[in-house]
Amino acid sequence: MTAAVSDSGVRLAAPARARQAKRRVDTRIAGYVFLLPWLVGFFCLTLGPTLSSLYLSLTDFNLLQSPRWIGFSNYVRMFTADPRFYGAVKVTLVYVLCSVPAKLVFALAVAMLLDKGIRGLTVYRALFYLPSLLGASVAIAVLWRQIFSADGIVNAVLALAGFTGPSWISNPDTAIYTLVLLSVWQFGSPMIIFLAGLRQIPQDLYEAASMDGASKWRQFRRITLPLLAPVIFFNLVLQTIDAFKAFTSAFIVSGGTGGPIDSTLFYTLYLYEEGFGNFRMGYASAMAWVLLIVIAVFTAAAFLTSKYWVFYEDDGKR
Amino acid sequence: MSTHGSRRRFLTHGAAVASSLVMPSFRVAAADPVRMRAVWWGGQDRAKRTNEAIQIFEKQRPDLKIATESTAWADYWTKVATLVAGGNAPDVLQMDYRYLVEYAKRGTLMPLDAFIPKLLDIQDFGANNLDSCKVDGKLYGVNLGINSTATFVDTAAFAKAGLPLPTYQWTWDDMSRMSQEITKSRGKGFWGCMDSGGGEPAFEVFARQHGKDLYTADGKIGVDADLTAAWLDYWQTMRKANGCVPPDVQALDKGSTDSSMLVLGKAAIDLRHSNFLEGFQLAHKEKLGITMYPQTKGGKWGQYIKPSQMMSVAATTKNTDLAVALTNFLVKDPAGTKVLGIERGVPASPAVRKMLSPDLSEVGRAMVDYIALINDKVSPLPPAPPTGAGEIQKLLNRQNQKVGFGQATASVAAKEFVEESKRILG
Repeated sequence: MTAAVSDSGVRLAAPARARQAKRRVDTRIAGYVFLLPWLVGFFCLTLGPTLSSLYLSLTDFNLLQSPRWIGFSNYVRMFTADPRFYGAVKVTLVYVLCSVPAKLVFALAVAMLLDKGIRGLTVYRALFYLPSLLGASVAIAVLWRQIFSADGIVNAVLALAGFTGPSWISNPDTAIYTLVLLSVWQFGSPMIIFLAGLRQIPQDLYEAASMDGASKWRQFRRITLPLLAPVIFFNLVLQTIDAFKAFTSAFIVSGGTGGPIDSTLFYTLYLYEEGFGNFRMGYASAMAWVLLIVIAVFTAAAFLTSKYWVFYEDDGKR
Repeated sequence: MSTHGSRRRFLTHGAAVASSLVMPSFRVAAADPVRMRAVWWGGQDRAKRTNEAIQIFEKQRPDLKIATESTAWADYWTKVATLVAGGNAPDVLQMDYRYLVEYAKRGTLMPLDAFIPKLLDIQDFGANNLDSCKVDGKLYGVNLGINSTATFVDTAAFAKAGLPLPTYQWTWDDMSRMSQEITKSRGKGFWGCMDSGGGEPAFEVFARQHGKDLYTADGKIGVDADLTAAWLDYWQTMRKANGCVPPDVQALDKGSTDSSMLVLGKAAIDLRHSNFLEGFQLAHKEKLGITMYPQTKGGKWGQYIKPSQMMSVAATTKNTDLAVALTNFLVKDPAGTKVLGIERGVPASPAVRKMLSPDLSEVGRAMVDYIALINDKVSPLPPAPPTGAGEIQKLLNRQNQKVGFGQATASVAAKEFVEESKRILG
């Protein structure tokens, strides 16, 4: 990322430019070599099913019989005659809009604490990263069920304080937020990336700022945030895409139903239920394509707005 | 789909070519074993028994290898649908009455009539038990056991509340009254009854007591909004009176034995199917009783006797005779039926019942006696559930939750149920 920007950003004399061009080709080849495993996987394994799902989205396909061409009926039904579709969209948006900012703020906060140079940093870093390794697993989702059920740990603690908590995971008003919490708890990977970003910020900037009498908060707003913007942007895009695709946690916690009353019916969960449970694979394929487009739109929006808030350190002339 | 087929063909051909190049001598030395797959849903006890029976069957045929897989009910249908769609349908698969039409009409299952009586020795099942596995006059499944809906009760909880155990004549009002008394007699966290307002089998029995089937013969929804509202309202009243578990507790019941309110020790009354009795008793420390679902005062008999499960053979199997023979082994051969026992319900064959009778446990006998008791208190089998019945089941549960969590009144939720059902069933 940084290399590309400096390539385009700096004007060079003619011979130097030729050398630069050669180097650019070299790095490009190296890039593709590193990409190779992914490219092979994409062209050999992913592309075929993706294209066939585009075809299936235009058919009536019940899994047991051959698909029947019906044009855009699936898409029409989705937007005009399926209230549960809108329910699933709403649940997913709430999840994305709550979990992504909360997770990023939390990850940044922890990263800044660790960046203070406490003793045993590597141990803490590993410990805080652990939930991310475990979090996507079925076992943790099962654990979550226990923690937030009527007689779970959370309510036991609340009982000490004299409150009687509801069964958080099986109450339609609170169930989705337990899943948000589960997602926030897996703050490890953005945290590691933030930590790396914080390490890149030159210490002398802070020293100069404190000599000028800038408060900690001001230093955070004027130095940390702007210099961290590329990293924040990267984390934001990645986490948003991940949140749209969330499936496992809701599937396990709700026992595969998206319940109670569809309150945890993530888009992907509904897609799965329609395709594999209700024998409407054509419809499910159409849903998958709508999801793809929505994610693309969100990502494009992030990139388009990024020029107003993301500044690269070596790109001062903008 | 054609690309799929050709890819598979390419792979198998490729593999065959590769293996013939690498190890030509092996093919002469040992014949490839015949490989088959069998799948079913159910708990641990069933898996243990079924695997054991299948191993005995395997031993009788040295070059046969049968891979088995079992999952919970909730995951089973997505799994089977995926396998079938991927062209990997298992040779032998457990089938449910609710899904039989769906699979049979779509050409997934093999009609079995032609194998009777030579390979499939099941004429003694009787017309009722054969007809209940037929679609459009053809036999698509073999009855693995007879069951019916049944109420299980925690006898100790009834004793503690000073109540007599319910008999088959008890009514919905009785259940409500008894449940409230049980709740009162116990501390926090224990209620009289599970919340079965979202339970399709219970609603069906209730509807039949009022002279309506859940589905009509031509596959439409058979209940109207008024009847549905009466049902949802019964449970809302029960909830308000503290007779049944609150909705956020009931929401954790996934339909499996180990997540049921009775086994979790949260309720004394559970509305289930009779073949679950052994599994429930294994998981419950108090003695369980069994009786019919409550009656409607002045109403008709609502329950019916049906196959608890069937074994079906996939239309695509390459080993038709072996698959049919395995099915026969599980329902008729003493070597197989002895191992399976009555875990899947009371065997349809009188000969098998007679053979198992001396060895029955107390719980097993209670279950067999129950089926004998209700034999003259049931009405005929309803029309087979149409395509989409699985969705209706989930819909009812959602509507009941809406009422329970206060998001809709019983009459609004009932109206939605009927409208949505019409949309699903077309």
